[in-house]
Amino acid sequence: MSGDAPALATVDRELGRHAPLPRDNGELVFEEPWQGRALGMGVVVLERSGAPWSEFRRHLTTAIAAHQPSESDSPATAYYTCWLAALEALLAERGLLDELP
Amino acid sequence: MSHQHDDHDHHHPRPASEVELRAQALEALLAERGLVSTDAIDAVVELYEQDIGPQNGARVVARAWVDDAYRGRLLTDANGAIAELGFEGTEGDNMVVVANTPSVHNMVVCTLCSCYPWPVLGLPPTWYKSPPYRARAVSEPRAVLSEFGVELDDEVEIRVWDSSAEIRYLVLPMRPSGTEGWSEAALEAIVTRDSMIGTALPAALQPASG
Repeated sequence: MSGDAPALATVDRELGRHAPLPRDNGELVFEEPWQGRALGMGVVVLERSGAPWSEFRRHLTTAIAAHQPSESDSPATAYYTCWLAALEALLAERGLLDELP
Repeated sequence: MSHQHDDHDHHHPRPASEVELRAQALEALLAERGLVSTDAIDAVVELYEQDIGPQNGARVVARAWVDDAYRGRLLTDANGAIAELGFEGTEGDNMVVVANTPSVHNMVVCTLCSCYPWPVLGLPPTWYKSPPYRARAVSEPRAVLSEFGVELDDEVEIRVWDSSAEIRYLVLPMRPSGTEGWSEAALEAIVTRDSMIGTALPAALQPASG
Protein backbone atom coordinates (compact mmCIF):
# COMPACT_ATOMS: atom_id res chain seq x y z
CA MET A 1 0.00 0.00 0.00
CA SER A 2 2.75 2.42 0.89
CA GLY A 3 4.13 1.70 -2.54
CA ASP A 4 1.31 3.79 -3.96
CA ALA A 5 1.75 6.69 -1.60
CA PRO A 6 3.47 9.70 -3.14
CA ALA A 7 6.97 10.51 -1.95
CA LEU A 8 7.10 13.10 0.79
CA ALA A 9 8.90 15.43 -1.61
CA THR A 10 5.86 15.24 -3.88
CA VAL A 11 3.55 16.12 -0.99
CA ASP A 12 5.79 19.07 -0.14
CA ARG A 13 5.64 20.28 -3.71
CA GLU A 14 1.86 19.87 -3.89
CA LEU A 15 1.25 21.72 -0.64
CA GLY A 16 3.45 24.55 -1.82
CA ARG A 17 4.71 27.41 0.20
CA HIS A 18 1.36 28.45 1.62
CA ALA A 19 0.61 25.35 3.63
CA PRO A 20 3.86 23.49 4.29
CA LEU A 21 3.94 20.58 6.72
CA PRO A 22 5.27 21.57 10.16
CA ARG A 23 8.93 20.66 10.43
CA ASP A 24 11.90 21.01 12.70
CA ASN A 25 15.23 20.94 10.85
CA GLY A 26 13.65 18.77 8.21
CA GLU A 27 11.91 16.27 10.43
CA LEU A 28 8.17 16.26 10.41
CA VAL A 29 6.78 17.46 13.70
CA PHE A 30 4.05 15.32 15.24
CA GLU A 31 3.45 16.39 18.79
CA GLU A 32 0.81 13.76 19.31
CA PRO A 33 0.03 10.56 17.44
CA TRP A 34 -3.27 11.87 16.02
CA GLN A 35 -1.33 14.44 13.98
CA GLY A 36 0.62 11.79 12.11
CA ARG A 37 -2.58 9.82 11.61
CA ALA A 38 -4.33 12.88 10.23
CA LEU A 39 -1.53 13.29 7.68
CA GLY A 40 -1.68 9.59 6.78
CA MET A 41 -5.46 9.70 6.44
CA GLY A 42 -5.28 12.62 4.05
CA VAL A 43 -2.68 10.95 1.86
CA VAL A 44 -4.57 7.65 1.76
CA VAL A 45 -7.92 9.31 1.05
CA LEU A 46 -6.46 11.25 -1.90
CA GLU A 47 -4.80 8.13 -3.20
CA ARG A 48 -8.00 6.05 -2.95
CA SER A 49 -10.45 8.66 -4.13
CA GLY A 50 -8.28 10.02 -6.92
CA ALA A 51 -8.92 13.55 -5.69
CA PRO A 52 -6.10 15.85 -6.83
CA TRP A 53 -3.78 17.52 -4.37
CA SER A 54 -4.79 20.90 -5.76
CA GLU A 55 -8.29 20.27 -4.49
CA PHE A 56 -7.04 19.33 -1.04
CA ARG A 57 -4.69 22.32 -0.99
CA ARG A 58 -7.61 24.63 -1.73
CA HIS A 59 -9.52 23.25 1.27
CA LEU A 60 -6.41 23.40 3.44
CA THR A 61 -5.55 27.01 2.70
CA THR A 62 -9.21 27.93 3.26
CA ALA A 63 -9.16 26.15 6.61
CA ILE A 64 -5.90 27.82 7.62
CA ALA A 65 -7.23 31.25 6.69
CA ALA A 66 -10.40 30.63 8.72
CA HIS A 67 -8.68 29.08 11.72
CA GLN A 68 -8.87 30.96 14.98
CA PRO A 69 -6.08 29.49 17.03
CA SER A 70 -6.56 29.22 20.74
CA GLU A 71 -3.66 30.49 22.78
CA SER A 72 -2.61 27.06 23.93
CA ASP A 73 -2.41 25.64 20.39
CA SER A 74 1.05 24.92 19.09
CA PRO A 75 1.73 25.46 15.37
CA ALA A 76 1.56 21.71 14.71
CA THR A 77 -1.75 21.38 16.55
CA ALA A 78 -3.19 24.32 14.65
CA TYR A 79 -1.91 22.96 11.33
CA TYR A 80 -3.28 19.46 11.74
CA THR A 81 -6.57 20.78 13.11
CA CYS A 82 -6.88 22.63 9.80
CA TRP A 83 -5.74 19.53 7.96
CA LEU A 84 -8.64 17.55 9.45
CA ALA A 85 -11.09 20.30 8.59
CA ALA A 86 -9.78 20.33 5.02
CA LEU A 87 -10.13 16.58 4.73
CA GLU A 88 -13.68 16.72 6.04
CA ALA A 89 -14.51 19.51 3.60
CA LEU A 90 -13.10 17.54 0.68
CA LEU A 91 -15.01 14.42 1.65
CA ALA A 92 -18.21 16.40 2.10
CA GLU A 93 -17.84 18.20 -1.22
CA ARG A 94 -17.30 14.92 -3.01
CA GLY A 95 -20.19 13.29 -1.18
CA LEU A 96 -17.92 10.60 0.15
CA LEU A 97 -19.20 10.92 3.68
CA ASP A 98 -22.65 12.16 4.37
CA GLU A 99 -22.78 11.73 8.08
CA LEU A 100 -19.86 13.60 9.49
CA PRO A 101 -20.04 14.02 13.22
CA MET B 1 -18.37 5.19 16.96
CA SER B 2 -17.01 2.47 19.15
CA HIS B 3 -13.88 1.84 17.11
CA GLN B 4 -10.84 2.07 19.31
CA HIS B 5 -7.26 2.58 18.27
CA ASP B 6 -5.52 0.97 21.14
CA ASP B 7 -2.36 0.49 19.11
CA HIS B 8 -1.86 4.19 18.84
CA ASP B 9 -3.20 5.49 22.09
CA HIS B 10 -0.26 4.40 24.11
CA HIS B 11 -0.45 6.26 27.34
CA HIS B 12 -1.93 9.68 27.54
CA PRO B 13 -1.18 11.69 30.62
CA ARG B 14 -4.42 13.58 30.07
CA PRO B 15 -7.78 12.91 28.48
CA ALA B 16 -7.95 12.98 24.68
CA SER B 17 -8.45 16.45 23.32
CA GLU B 18 -11.42 17.42 21.21
CA VAL B 19 -9.44 17.45 18.00
CA GLU B 20 -7.92 14.09 18.80
CA LEU B 21 -11.38 12.60 19.27
CA ARG B 22 -12.42 14.19 16.00
CA ALA B 23 -9.45 12.58 14.23
CA GLN B 24 -10.33 9.20 15.70
CA ALA B 25 -13.98 9.55 14.72
CA LEU B 26 -13.04 10.46 11.16
CA GLU B 27 -10.63 7.57 10.86
CA ALA B 28 -13.24 5.13 12.17
CA LEU B 29 -15.81 6.42 9.71
CA LEU B 30 -13.38 6.24 6.79
CA ALA B 31 -12.37 2.73 7.78
CA GLU B 32 -16.02 1.73 7.92
CA ARG B 33 -16.48 2.97 4.36
CA GLY B 34 -13.38 1.17 3.24
CA LEU B 35 -11.65 4.42 2.28
CA VAL B 36 -8.71 3.96 4.61
CA SER B 37 -7.28 1.17 6.66
CA THR B 38 -5.21 1.45 9.79
CA ASP B 39 -2.39 -0.37 8.03
CA ALA B 40 -2.39 1.99 5.07
CA ILE B 41 -2.20 5.00 7.37
CA ASP B 42 0.55 3.41 9.44
CA ALA B 43 2.53 2.71 6.28
CA VAL B 44 2.32 6.32 5.11
CA VAL B 45 3.28 7.74 8.50
CA GLU B 46 6.22 5.39 8.77
CA LEU B 47 7.34 6.18 5.23
CA TYR B 48 7.21 9.93 5.77
CA GLU B 49 8.82 9.90 9.17
CA GLN B 50 11.88 8.21 7.76
CA ASP B 51 12.08 9.07 4.17
CA ILE B 52 12.98 12.32 2.71
CA GLY B 53 15.90 11.56 0.59
CA PRO B 54 18.65 13.56 -1.01
CA GLN B 55 17.07 13.42 -4.50
CA ASN B 56 16.52 17.16 -4.61
CA GLY B 57 20.18 17.83 -3.94
CA ALA B 58 21.19 15.28 -6.57
CA ARG B 59 19.09 17.13 -9.14
CA VAL B 60 20.78 20.40 -8.22
CA VAL B 61 24.25 18.87 -8.58
CA ALA B 62 23.48 17.11 -11.86
CA ARG B 63 22.11 20.33 -13.33
CA ALA B 64 25.24 22.19 -12.27
CA TRP B 65 27.38 19.52 -13.95
CA VAL B 66 25.66 19.89 -17.31
CA ASP B 67 24.87 23.60 -17.30
CA ASP B 68 27.70 26.04 -16.63
CA ALA B 69 25.40 29.03 -16.37
CA TYR B 70 23.34 27.22 -13.74
CA ARG B 71 26.53 26.29 -11.90
CA GLY B 72 27.49 29.94 -11.81
CA ARG B 73 24.14 30.96 -10.37
CA LEU B 74 24.29 28.12 -7.84
CA LEU B 75 27.63 29.27 -6.49
CA THR B 76 26.65 32.92 -6.24
CA ASP B 77 22.98 32.64 -5.24
CA ALA B 78 22.28 29.14 -4.02
CA ASN B 79 18.79 29.90 -2.72
CA GLY B 80 17.70 31.35 -6.03
CA ALA B 81 19.27 28.59 -8.11
CA ILE B 82 17.73 25.86 -5.95
CA ALA B 83 14.32 27.54 -6.12
CA GLU B 84 14.63 27.54 -9.93
CA LEU B 85 14.26 23.76 -9.80
CA GLY B 86 11.06 24.15 -7.84
CA PHE B 87 12.21 23.02 -4.41
CA GLU B 88 10.28 24.67 -1.64
CA GLY B 89 11.26 25.07 1.94
CA THR B 90 14.49 26.92 1.51
CA GLU B 91 13.07 30.28 2.51
CA GLY B 92 14.62 31.51 5.69
CA ASP B 93 17.52 29.14 5.33
CA ASN B 94 20.46 30.77 3.71
CA MET B 95 22.03 28.11 1.53
CA VAL B 96 25.62 28.32 0.38
CA VAL B 97 27.03 25.88 -2.15
CA VAL B 98 30.77 25.22 -2.08
CA ALA B 99 32.42 23.57 -5.08
CA ASN B 100 35.10 20.92 -4.94
CA THR B 101 38.02 21.42 -7.30
CA PRO B 102 41.15 19.38 -8.01
CA SER B 103 42.92 21.36 -5.28
CA VAL B 104 40.12 21.95 -2.74
CA HIS B 105 37.84 19.45 -1.03
CA ASN B 106 34.93 20.72 1.04
CA MET B 107 33.13 19.00 3.85
CA VAL B 108 30.24 20.10 6.04
CA VAL B 109 29.59 19.71 9.72
CA CYS B 110 27.40 21.34 12.31
CA THR B 111 29.54 21.59 15.40
CA LEU B 112 26.71 22.93 17.56
CA CYS B 113 23.91 20.52 16.76
CA SER B 114 22.74 19.08 13.46
CA CYS B 115 21.92 21.97 11.14
CA TYR B 116 21.53 20.49 7.73
CA PRO B 117 20.22 21.59 4.33
CA TRP B 118 17.18 19.32 4.59
CA PRO B 119 15.17 20.77 1.70
CA VAL B 120 17.83 19.39 -0.63
CA LEU B 121 19.31 16.52 1.36
CA GLY B 122 16.45 15.17 3.44
CA LEU B 123 17.13 14.10 6.99
CA PRO B 124 20.66 14.07 8.35
CA PRO B 125 22.29 10.68 8.83
CA THR B 126 22.88 9.56 12.41
CA TRP B 127 26.65 10.00 12.19
CA TYR B 128 26.21 13.62 11.16
CA LYS B 129 24.58 14.28 14.52
CA SER B 130 27.11 12.29 16.53
CA PRO B 131 29.51 14.17 18.83
CA PRO B 132 32.61 12.40 17.45
CA TYR B 133 31.89 13.51 13.89
CA ARG B 134 31.04 17.03 15.00
CA ALA B 135 34.32 17.36 16.88
CA ARG B 136 36.67 15.41 14.64
CA ALA B 137 35.49 16.87 11.34
CA VAL B 138 37.09 20.07 12.58
CA SER B 139 40.12 18.74 14.45
CA GLU B 140 41.19 15.98 12.05
CA PRO B 141 39.16 16.13 8.85
CA ARG B 142 41.65 14.12 6.83
CA ALA B 143 41.42 11.19 9.24
CA VAL B 144 37.63 11.37 9.24
CA LEU B 145 37.55 11.39 5.44
CA SER B 146 39.87 8.43 5.38
CA GLU B 147 37.47 6.52 7.61
CA PHE B 148 34.73 7.30 5.12
CA GLY B 149 36.97 5.84 2.44
CA VAL B 150 37.97 9.17 0.93
CA GLU B 151 41.73 9.35 0.46
CA LEU B 152 42.91 12.72 -0.76
CA ASP B 153 46.36 13.70 -1.93
CA ASP B 154 48.29 15.64 0.67
CA GLU B 155 48.31 18.73 -1.49
CA VAL B 156 44.51 18.89 -1.63
CA GLU B 157 43.30 21.51 0.81
CA ILE B 158 40.36 20.45 2.99
CA ARG B 159 37.89 23.16 3.89
CA VAL B 160 35.44 22.41 6.68
CA TRP B 161 32.23 24.41 6.74
CA ASP B 162 30.27 24.77 9.96
CA SER B 163 26.55 24.85 9.22
CA SER B 164 24.27 26.83 11.46
CA ALA B 165 20.61 27.73 11.59
CA GLU B 166 21.47 30.77 9.47
CA ILE B 167 23.75 29.26 6.84
CA ARG B 168 23.53 25.71 5.57
CA TYR B 169 26.21 24.39 3.27
CA LEU B 170 25.97 21.98 0.39
CA VAL B 171 29.01 20.53 -1.35
CA LEU B 172 29.07 20.52 -5.13
CA PRO B 173 31.24 17.50 -5.88
CA MET B 174 33.37 17.26 -9.00
CA ARG B 175 31.83 15.43 -11.90
CA PRO B 176 33.59 12.07 -12.08
CA SER B 177 35.58 11.23 -15.15
CA GLY B 178 33.98 8.59 -17.32
CA THR B 179 30.63 10.34 -17.28
CA GLU B 180 31.09 12.31 -20.47
CA GLY B 181 27.92 12.34 -22.51
CA TRP B 182 25.75 11.02 -19.68
CA SER B 183 22.21 12.31 -19.40
CA GLU B 184 21.25 14.53 -16.50
CA ALA B 185 19.09 11.71 -15.10
CA ALA B 186 21.98 9.25 -15.23
CA LEU B 187 24.23 11.77 -13.51
CA GLU B 188 21.63 12.37 -10.81
CA ALA B 189 21.69 8.70 -9.93
CA ILE B 190 25.37 8.74 -8.98
CA VAL B 191 25.16 11.80 -6.72
CA THR B 192 25.03 10.40 -3.23
CA ARG B 193 23.97 12.13 -0.05
CA ASP B 194 27.43 11.80 1.45
CA SER B 195 29.05 13.31 -1.62
CA MET B 196 27.01 16.47 -0.98
CA ILE B 197 28.11 16.54 2.66
CA GLY B 198 31.66 16.02 1.46
CA THR B 199 32.33 12.67 3.10
CA ALA B 200 32.27 10.74 -0.18
CA LEU B 201 33.10 11.23 -3.83
CA PRO B 202 30.66 10.34 -6.56
CA ALA B 203 31.92 7.61 -8.83
CA ALA B 204 30.94 6.51 -12.32
CA LEU B 205 30.13 3.02 -11.15
CA GLN B 206 27.38 2.01 -13.50
CA PRO B 207 27.40 2.57 -17.20
CA ALA B 208 24.95 5.21 -18.23
CA SER B 209 21.67 3.78 -19.34
CA GLY B 210 20.13 6.91 -20.69
